[in-house]
Amino acid sequence: MKLIRHKDKAWMGIWLAVMAGVGVWDVLFLNKPALKQVVAGFLNTFVISLLVVIITLACGWLVTICLYYLEARRNKTGYLLLTFLLNLIRSIPQIVGILFGYILVAYLTGKGTLQSPTLVFPLMAAIVSLFIFIELVDLMRERIEYYKRLDFYSAMLVCGIPESRIINFDILWKNSRLHIFNKLISVFGISVFLQCSVDFIISVGLSTGVSSVNLPLTLGSLLAKIDSKQDILAIGHTLTHPSYFPNLFFGHLQGVTVAFLIVFTLMCIYHISNGYAERHRL
Amino acid sequence: MSDRVYQVTISSAERTVVSIDNFAVPQNKITFLFGESGIGKSMISKAVYGLLDPDALDIAINGRSYADHLKQSRTQEIQKNSFFVFQEPSSHLNNLMTIDRQITEGSLQLAKDDSDILNHLWKDIDEQAVRTLFEIYPKPYRPSGGEKQRILLLMAFKKINVLLNSFGAEAPTYFVFDEPTGSLDDNFRNLFLHLLFTKYVQRPFTIMIITHDYSIISEVYKKYANLLDSIRFRELSRLKSGAVELHDFSPDEYLGWLQKTAFKGGAVARQEKVLEVEADFKIFNRSLCIYREREHRQKTNLVIHKGEMVYLKAPSGVGKTTLAKLVMGLFRPQKFEMQLAGTRITEKTHKSVWHKKVWGKKAGMVFQHADESLNLQATVKEVFDGLPLKSRLRSAVLKQKLGELFEGEIADAFISKKVAFLSGGQKQRLNLLRTLVMNTDLIILDEPLNGLDFLSITKVMEKLEERRRQGSALLLISHNEEIFDTILDKEHIYYLAECTMELPADRQS
Repeated sequence: MKLIRHKDKAWMGIWLAVMAGVGVWDVLFLNKPALKQVVAGFLNTFVISLLVVIITLACGWLVTICLYYLEARRNKTGYLLLTFLLNLIRSIPQIVGILFGYILVAYLTGKGTLQSPTLVFPLMAAIVSLFIFIELVDLMRERIEYYKRLDFYSAMLVCGIPESRIINFDILWKNSRLHIFNKLISVFGISVFLQCSVDFIISVGLSTGVSSVNLPLTLGSLLAKIDSKQDILAIGHTLTHPSYFPNLFFGHLQGVTVAFLIVFTLMCIYHISNGYAERHRL
Repeated sequence: MSDRVYQVTISSAERTVVSIDNFAVPQNKITFLFGESGIGKSMISKAVYGLLDPDALDIAINGRSYADHLKQSRTQEIQKNSFFVFQEPSSHLNNLMTIDRQITEGSLQLAKDDSDILNHLWKDIDEQAVRTLFEIYPKPYRPSGGEKQRILLLMAFKKINVLLNSFGAEAPTYFVFDEPTGSLDDNFRNLFLHLLFTKYVQRPFTIMIITHDYSIISEVYKKYANLLDSIRFRELSRLKSGAVELHDFSPDEYLGWLQKTAFKGGAVARQEKVLEVEADFKIFNRSLCIYREREHRQKTNLVIHKGEMVYLKAPSGVGKTTLAKLVMGLFRPQKFEMQLAGTRITEKTHKSVWHKKVWGKKAGMVFQHADESLNLQATVKEVFDGLPLKSRLRSAVLKQKLGELFEGEIADAFISKKVAFLSGGQKQRLNLLRTLVMNTDLIILDEPLNGLDFLSITKVMEKLEERRRQGSALLLISHNEEIFDTILDKEHIYYLAECTMELPADRQS
């Protein structure tokens, strides 16, 4: 009953169970090389998204604190410069910004400048974070502003409690971490979505100089592969030939699995985030 | 008629919110219900009246489900015949309707003539001027808190008029006034009591007045001794099991304490000055002045010496808290000058001065609402972390400090408890203690007795007196006029008012 009431936990359970089910099915019915690619694509996408979450949190917190102190100390030049930079990033559509960032990474990897995957992964994550972390900054600044309007802030200040403790510990950690965590769940979802979209675009072919081969395999790039494309076309084929439907789960498993992993994961993240917000009354 | 006793249990999904076996409502009598904030006075009264949401909480009354309680004809009759004045006037009024429409809504329109109520509750103001106020939509800044409170009382009295004119003596009633005078000064509080008792004498009905204002006892004893047979003073207190118990509160306990407690405010001349605020100052385009006499004759500087306790008086909304916040550098004044422990501060002084020299060093302040001043998500121990103390408070020392204001032995579980889970009275004591553990020259206390039960009031007053004796200068702001008027002598009382304002003649005595 408790699990049903806590929608976020329920959806997390559903996601894990379905992932495990898909995994077992693929082990049984998908050929080994394709299975290896699906697993690699899945893991790479999730590792990069986790890195995105960590970098977004670090950058978001740092920039929020910088903006707070620049404003509080009336450093107009610094404040305007930083807000200008943020607004500049904000003005670039996320998908376009990440696309150009990925093109740069693919180009550098192709040229041999970037070799180690330990560098490529964080760099890709940093590019995605650059166009997402402002959302977290906005949230954290709103939280600080809200608490500054209450007696809460002044009452602590006049007790001689350092401003840095009030902002970092009392406001952001103690009173906003649930909000921040909820935002990070959606950052994870946004990251999966943007990566898949951009990888797909790059993989279907942008130019001869930029190839998805240069980038780590992700669910997006896997979806763009010729095998997966045929599998996706097979889904369309079942609309006019329903008797073909069972074949999808045996003969077209790679494309169906990748498409399902992307769509189902995004749907679960959406429900987990909503459920979490509901449970904590955010 | 005898008491009607209710057994009430209210639980949420996670815990029991409140549980009481003996909530007695004396029928057709006047009950004054005391008890610390957050103990459940309002919630139990709302449950009995039938105002809680049966889907949001698990409620049982006298063994019945809440749905059954709501369906009972008696509950429905009570709701039809009575009125519930909510504690927070702003949340009672609908911001999307003019006040005029709200005071004539539903059965209130049956009370045609409300002039007697208006003239009584707004004694100083012309009836037409009051009616003009009713043409507006309630906003955060107008009507003021005091005006909103009187508007709610007007609605309740209109309902009482309906009762007096339309219903028989047997009709069940339950008029609940939840902190009806929280935003009113003693003068308006007394006007409210007078009108209520006048109506009661015409036709007795069941009245429950939930209050923290123990000084109401003195007013009742002074002016309504003839009604004492119909009046009950009761207090809610928490049992060790966590349940709540209702018991009689002896008025003598309060009146006796008041008589024997006389701090006198401390010696003045021999000690050094801690705070001197210039007699007039300007903020938000308002000129405010400090006076020594109630009649506002002669402006004077507000001076507090070491080891002195000073009480600042003014009606609600005049600017007592504003002055306190000015001293603490939280507002930017247009004209202001003060000396604080040797430091001259004016309207031009940079905020960093308070940061470096004042906050937590020369002065500390206890804010009015503990709920807003404390970090509710922090633990009791974390409330004291970060204070500018010489050394961090170890658990043993912290427990000893907490023991000065909290009953019983302080357990480890208590200091690791989230502030949000404390009762209102416990929060208020914690709020006070956070400032009192620091060794500042000046302590400003804004409504330090807010939300406390009688036992806690006595403890807090003892603690304040101890700090005064140790040499701290204390500036008090409080609605509990009777307590501070009685325990402090006149030379420790100051008055704040608009510089041009003179006190109305009938309030000068």
